[in-house]
Formats: sequence, structure tokens, C-alpha cells
Amino acid sequence: MAEKLQFQSEATARAHEGEDEGLPSLLPRFGEEKFPWIQVWGYIGSLVLTFAALILVIDHVLPPVALLSVILTLAVGQAALQIGVFMHVRESRGLAWQMVFLGLVLLMAAGMVGMSIWIMLFKSGVS
Amino acid sequence: MPSFVLYLIHTLFPHDVRRPTELGADFLIIMSGVIIVYYLTKQKKWRYLWDEWLTTVDHKKIGIMYLIAAIAMLFRGGVDALMLRTNLALPTTPVISASEYNEVFTTHGTIMIFFMAMPLIFALWNVAVPLMIGARDVAFPRLNAMSFWLFAFGALLLNISFVIGGSPNAGWTAYPPYTGVAFNPGPGENYFFLSLLIAGMGTTMTGINFLVTTLRMRAPGMTLMKMPMFVWTTLTTAALILFAFPPLTVALAMSLFDRLFGSSFFTLTHGGMPMMYVNLFWLFGHPEVYIVVLPAFGVFSEVVATYSRKALFGYSAMVLSVLAIMFLSYGTWVHHFFTMGAGPAVNAFFGLSTMLIAIPTGVKIFNWIFTMWGGRIQLTTAMLYQIAFIPTFVIGGATGILLATVPADYQLHNTYFLVAHFHNVLIGGVLFGLLSGTYYWWPKMFGHKLDERQGKWAFWLYFIGFWVTFGPQYLLGLEGMTRRMYTYPLGFGWHELNVISTVGAFIMGAGFVVMVYNVLYSLKYGERDLTGDPWDGRTLEWALPSPAPEYNFARIPVVTARDAWWDMKQKGQTLANSLSSHDISTLEMPKNTPVPFLLGLSFFVVGFGMTFEWWIIVAIGAIGVVASLLYSAFDYDEHKHINADVIRRTESALGRLQG
Repeated sequence: MAEKLQFQSEATARAHEGEDEGLPSLLPRFGEEKFPWIQVWGYIGSLVLTFAALILVIDHVLPPVALLSVILTLAVGQAALQIGVFMHVRESRGLAWQMVFLGLVLLMAAGMVGMSIWIMLFKSGVS
Repeated sequence: MPSFVLYLIHTLFPHDVRRPTELGADFLIIMSGVIIVYYLTKQKKWRYLWDEWLTTVDHKKIGIMYLIAAIAMLFRGGVDALMLRTNLALPTTPVISASEYNEVFTTHGTIMIFFMAMPLIFALWNVAVPLMIGARDVAFPRLNAMSFWLFAFGALLLNISFVIGGSPNAGWTAYPPYTGVAFNPGPGENYFFLSLLIAGMGTTMTGINFLVTTLRMRAPGMTLMKMPMFVWTTLTTAALILFAFPPLTVALAMSLFDRLFGSSFFTLTHGGMPMMYVNLFWLFGHPEVYIVVLPAFGVFSEVVATYSRKALFGYSAMVLSVLAIMFLSYGTWVHHFFTMGAGPAVNAFFGLSTMLIAIPTGVKIFNWIFTMWGGRIQLTTAMLYQIAFIPTFVIGGATGILLATVPADYQLHNTYFLVAHFHNVLIGGVLFGLLSGTYYWWPKMFGHKLDERQGKWAFWLYFIGFWVTFGPQYLLGLEGMTRRMYTYPLGFGWHELNVISTVGAFIMGAGFVVMVYNVLYSLKYGERDLTGDPWDGRTLEWALPSPAPEYNFARIPVVTARDAWWDMKQKGQTLANSLSSHDISTLEMPKNTPVPFLLGLSFFVVGFGMTFEWWIIVAIGAIGVVASLLYSAFDYDEHKHINADVIRRTESALGRLQG
């Protein structure tokens, strides 16, 4: 095509000049059609982890404490898989930004899970 | 008659959807359906409807569809409210029964929050945000259309419940064990969970979309601290949505599992924890409060600056306070269930964190007042909402502080004092804000103003009606009247106040009628906006013609100042006077696609099948979902080109091309 596509050139120009200097990972990649095998395997992996937990619970394979520990381990694995495969962490602006991201994850997890445990620990006759 | 027909009639139309109210609604729905189909066929509009609206990915049209849906839902939720209020004005001769009352207050709350406030916010985002930041569309236009259709079909699923199968009746919070299948058989609660799950997916996607749009799609030169305040609130609200909706999705899905598959997450038996639902729900629910109010704050920040003809006072303090509200709103959710009895340490922590939020909110209130101070204020309808908002929201906030005081909350919890408080902030804050934004951006959406005289009538009816309705409810709460009761004994002295409150509700209903008349009248007779800048605005959307052309900006502007358009006007520039023919090149724009509509429809089929546990229908819908997604994933032909000549012709017809 004779005329350059403005949509594309604007985005590229912005990525080259502006705040994102030197970030090849943030450049738009038009026409790149590599098949996303990582995501496919990640999806299958997340399904396996989910159904493993479900089967463990339904069939009462383990005593309660062991069961909870195994489910918790699977959940942490699931979270790591989601962050690693689907959240594009490795495309960020280097290690410093990845640490900010992971710190935020831990903060939210600690806030939501930790506070919920604290709240639900009450021993009154309500529940 | 074959037995499955009887089974269908028995399942789809049980006794409680054959009451006079429902039969009347059936009649109206069928009649209006017939009229719409007849009109579309007669005018040969089916093709137009499909090409221009149902398959569109244009953010401006999606915004208009959100707006229409939101106004329709405001009608439904408002009629529900009038039914509730009528019953409470006549305690000796209830108009609707206790069970119907439960259904009506459930749909009133659910519709007003999820299907009125949320879409009205998304309407304003879609209409204004891409234009304000100088973008051609949102970051993911097809995802945006998917969000809309998931919302629309989710809303449809909830709305058909009252004529097909039976309404949900456990309140908009849907606490167990009210929703447990042992106590609440029938499809009503399934409808509730499924419709919110479907619409919630759309909302999460909207959050992601606008987060990326505001961070990545701004015009060159528009740094974060040059963004209009409405865009800042969009950014923070989108972040809130991203983190707040997962707990809701989890809580709804687990409740649905309890009902459909016999799990025991929230049941009273088998070690279930009903209070965990409450915890998860409000882990979403409190950020949700700020999800709906922050966009209203954003609207007010634009409206107050435009109609005071001054830059917003204390911009950086406003940004900081919005960010503070965003973070703090995650740390307050227990104040919705202090009476669970989690203990003094937990309650004291969350009481204090709740009161902390009053500080950044107070900062914002002062900044709006200081923006007006010394300004040349124009009392337009949008500005009247702003001026009414300030005292109303301050009183609503102050009663919120009273409720955050734990010992007081033990007394006031679940009374009409609480009902009055949250309507005070939701109507005085959210509804006033969103209506203000609707009047403000209406010319940008439709190319004409709404009639100001009628708009002011509607405003005064809403404002006066609001106080007549909810003022007495504070007193009723202090006198001990609890929420969600369909009648009460006469001896408690509640009757007079309830009658006043009902009169107020009908005044607000009259306000709605005037507003709809205002819209219809202005379609035909409203003052046309030929300049694109009817209010002498400050931000970039007013640099464009009204309504904006499909590609928004023929050439993306370069931003040098905070109120970009105002700054350009001060320097004697417009987007038009520097645009010459050779600046225009062929643009790549997203192409219309039927996938979002079909995806929404497929999810609707899944939801409907699952509500009645008809697994074959669920499978059919699921195939539709997977097929839509696969088709969309492998559809590389998703762009079209708008030829430079077409753009030149359009711009020159608008008188915006030099030479």
C-alpha cells in the first residue's frame, strides 16, 4: 500500500520516542502470527491443577489437614502459572518492574486472604 | 396434550408469575414487541439495526446503547421502587404480598446497582474517554463490544425472571441461607447468580479495556498529570473493577455450585460457612461503592470547571485523593457486617479505616467549592446537579460516619437509617453525577442539546423528591423501622413518615417522566450543536464536531497543557484551522463483527438452560460460546481502511479542512 498506515505508525512512533524508549517488548507487533503454544499448555496445565483439586476433595483421598495442604499447594501453583503464562510478566520493563508487580500481588493476596482469615477467625455463636 | 408441554408450562409459568402484575407486564411486553417488530419490518430497518448497531465496535455507538439500556433499567428499577413505597404507605391494605415484596426489593436493588448505575457509567466512559484523550477508539474495540453484549444479555436474563419462572427474592446481596436450595427452591436465585456472572464478565473486560486505554492510548504530550480529571477517575475505577470483581465472581459461582451441584461452601450443614459469603460479597461490595461513585466525581470535576469557566482547583490534590480513595476502599469492607460479631479488634480497625476515607472525599468537596469560588457560574441543568450534589453528598457522608461508629451501627444496622444513608450517597452522588454527565455530554452524543427548561424541571422534581423521600426515612430508622418489611402495625407512629416518603418517591417518578419527555422533545426540537463546542468546554472532546465522525480525529492532536482544548482556544488554534489536505492519510479502523452479539446470545442460552437445569440447552449455548471465541481468535481480517479521500470529504463537509 502506497500510503503508510497512520494507526500503526503513530503507535510505533510513540513507543520509539516517548516514555517507552528502548522497550522492544512494548512495540506493537502487527502481523506476527506465531502460534501461542505457551498459552495452550498453560491452559491445559491450569485445567489439570483445577481438576486435581476437585477430585481430591470429592473422593476424600486424604485426611483433612493433608488435604488442605495439598489443595493450598495446588492453588499456589495455579497462581504462579496464571501470573507466568497469562499475565505477560516477562514482557515488562525489566526485573525492577516485575518486583513491583509481584509485590502488588503479594499485597493484594495478604490483604484479601490474610484479612479474611483474621475476620473469619471469630469464635462467637454466629456461624 | 403431550406431557412435556404441561411440564414446560408448569416450569416456565408457575403460580407466582401468574399474578395480575405479571400478566399485565406480559401483555405490555408482547404488545411492545409486536409494535417494534412491525415498525422495523415496515421501515425495512432490520439491516440498518444489524449493520449500524448490533455488530458495531465503535465506542460512540456502544456508549449510546449502554445509555439506552441504563435509562430502560432506571424505569424498571423506579417502578419497583414505587411499588415498594405504595405498599408502605398503605400498611393496613398491602397492595402486594410479602413474597412479591421480597422479589420487588431484590430486583430493585440488583437492577439499580448492576444494570442501571454500571451501564450508565460505561455509557459515559465510552462516549467521552477516547475523545478526551485524543484516541481513535478504546484499546480493544472488539472486547468493548463483547463487554456490552455480555452486559445486555445478562440484564435480559435477570429481567425475564419475573415473567418466566419467577424472580429472585433474597435481596440484592443474596446472602445464604436465603439463597440455599433447601429454603429457596425454584429458578429465581439461579437467574440472579447467572445474570450477574454473565454481566460481571463484561464488566471485568470493560475494566481491563479502559485501564489499558487510559494508560496506552493517550495523545502525544498528554502525560498522566495532564489527563482530565474524568480520565483519572476512569483509570482508578477500572483498577478497582479489576481487583473487586473476582471476589464477587467467586462468591456467586460458589453459591451457584451450592444450588446446582450440591456442594456445601455456604450451607448451614456439612461444614459450610455462610458468613464467608458475606465476607467475599463485601470484599467486592465496598470497592463497588467507589466504582460507582468515582466516575460521578469525575463528571463533577469536568462539569464544575466548564460551567465556572475556571480550571479545576487543586488538580494534584484531586488526583492524590482519588488514588487514596482507591487504596483505602479495599480496607473497609467489614463495616457492612459489623454485627456479625467478629470482635472488637476487627470492628475497631474497619470502623477507623472507614472514617479515614472521609478525608480524601472532604478534600474533593472543598476543591469543587473552590473551583466555583470567583468563577462565572452558568446555572445549566448539569451544573444544578453539581450544586445539589455537594450538600446532599456531605449529609450522606456524615451519616456514613455515624454508621461507621461501631456501637452506633449495632443500633442502626438494617434499619431505614441505613436505607436512607445509602440512597443519600447513591442518588445524591451517583445518580446526580451520572445525570449531570448525561446532560453535559448529550450534545456530543447526538448533536443537539437537551432542552434546558425541561431539564431544570426534571432536576427540581428529582432533588425535592429525593429529600421528601429519604429525609423521613432517617427518622423512621431512628424510630426502629427495619428494612425489607412489607407492612407494619399502625401503633408505632411510622405511618405519617412513610406516607410523606411515598409522596416523595412519586415526585421523583414525575421527575423521570419529565426527563424522558425532555429527551423525546429535544430529539425533534432541541437546539442543534453546530460548533461541536456548545458549553465552551475545556477538554479535547469539544474540539470535535458533534457527533464526532467515525474515526474521531482526522489527525491526532498534540497536547501541551492540562485543559488541552481550552489552551488551544486561548492560543487561537482549533483542530480545524491547521488541518490541511495533505495531513490526512488513510486510517486503519476496527471492522464491525457479529461475534460479540453472538457470544452474548450464546451466554444467554447457557444461563437460561442452567437456570432450569436443562443441560442440553446449556451444551448448545456452550458450543456457541466456544465457536464464537474460536472464530474470533482466528479472524485476522479485523480491520478496515478508511480512505484518505473519504476523510477529506467528511472533514470538508464539516467545514474543518483548509484549502
